[in-house]
Amino acid sequence: MPATSASFRRARALLGTFVEIDVADAQGADLESAVEAAFSAVAEVHRLMSFHDPDSDVSRLNSAASSCAVTVHPWTYTVLQAALEMAQSSDGDFDVGVAGIPQPAADSSSRTAAAIELLAGHQVRFRHAGLRIDLGGIAKGFAVDCAIDALRRCGVRSAMVNAGGDLATFGGGARIVHIRDPRSPGRLLCQVEVSNGALASSARRFDPFRSAETTETSVLDPSTRRPAERVLGATVRASTCMVADALTKIVMVGGERAAAQLARFQASAMLVAADGNILTTSDWQGDLQHAA
Amino acid sequence: MNDWLKWTAPAAAVMSVAAPAYAMQYMSVEEAQKAAFPGASFAEVQPGRVWKASNGGYFYYDHVVGKHLLIDYTVAIGPDGRVRRVEILNYRESYGGEVHDPNWLGQFVGKGSQNELRINSDIRNISGATLSSTHLTEGVKKVLTYHASHFR
Repeated sequence: MPATSASFRRARALLGTFVEIDVADAQGADLESAVEAAFSAVAEVHRLMSFHDPDSDVSRLNSAASSCAVTVHPWTYTVLQAALEMAQSSDGDFDVGVAGIPQPAADSSSRTAAAIELLAGHQVRFRHAGLRIDLGGIAKGFAVDCAIDALRRCGVRSAMVNAGGDLATFGGGARIVHIRDPRSPGRLLCQVEVSNGALASSARRFDPFRSAETTETSVLDPSTRRPAERVLGATVRASTCMVADALTKIVMVGGERAAAQLARFQASAMLVAADGNILTTSDWQGDLQHAA
Repeated sequence: MNDWLKWTAPAAAVMSVAAPAYAMQYMSVEEAQKAAFPGASFAEVQPGRVWKASNGGYFYYDHVVGKHLLIDYTVAIGPDGRVRRVEILNYRESYGGEVHDPNWLGQFVGKGSQNELRINSDIRNISGATLSSTHLTEGVKKVLTYHASHFR
């Protein structure tokens, strides 16, 4: 069905959340098929990196990579490379390991990263029997980047992809994004403008289908194996959504000490600390007035 | 290295504003039908809920409604009984009790996606805590179960 309107927005349930794609202004391109290609890319990331799907790359790694090298899709390999870089640069505050990691040692930096071997030919091996990984802290951002790439390839000149608050946009000037108040997600804390870049947030869990209240965050502090307590919510702006997504976890776990990692990736951030203070990096660009 | 700036007012004193009725409309039922089965015609099997497509497929319109969230969605099922396509037609989040008000419930049904929303139309994009879509997945399973027992 060729689109007649100059812009439209579609939504699907993918990656365990709602993925919205908003497109405008395709140069001779069919917007409907461009959006379909973008959703297909997101669905492919979901298929490859789901922790629960027994046929995903992640499940195949978790069941076999400690006994032999497992070949994964290039996308999975790319995400693993980024995850290990994040783990190393944050001294283990970012950690894709969910089980089988040796207990904290004196050298506590990036234990999971040291236990994952990335080999030639997109092969991956685990050095520890029982190591289990979950790419949930970074794959959603990667999926958004893949959707953006698909839209660009189809000739779309302006779009936004928003996967449950992890979003990226290009073309068409600035778009306003409202940030939920992590203490009360039915309310809005502030608004920011995003153009040609990405923004991601992490906070306590929230399901308006069941309640207006939040439950504890799904971000675990690798050093305690307990939900992160230092920060109630974090929003990170970066050039790609994968980087922004992963950095939100580092800010949730590390709080103010995440500044070095943010600077390394030329990212900026806002956080709501458990003590009620709102902090931003000095290069944060956003309207920190309450939403009008 | 970045320095952190503390926002002058403590968060407790910062006025966050209520988003009483954040809503987004994506597609009409007719648009979803055409996208699922291009070129097919549709015969109503159950008024406003189930259609049979001329290619042998079926098309369901349903909603999931919770405490503060209502989602209208459609499920296209191919002649082979497998899900062809699931579309979210609209998404309505509300904290003022409107979700269970029949007028609010029905305000978008049957409208084209070109219709402008009148409520909170300035809120187009939200970031924050990630929302679960589990309830929608459960809704699709419910539709499939219904389909298997009635039309297979």
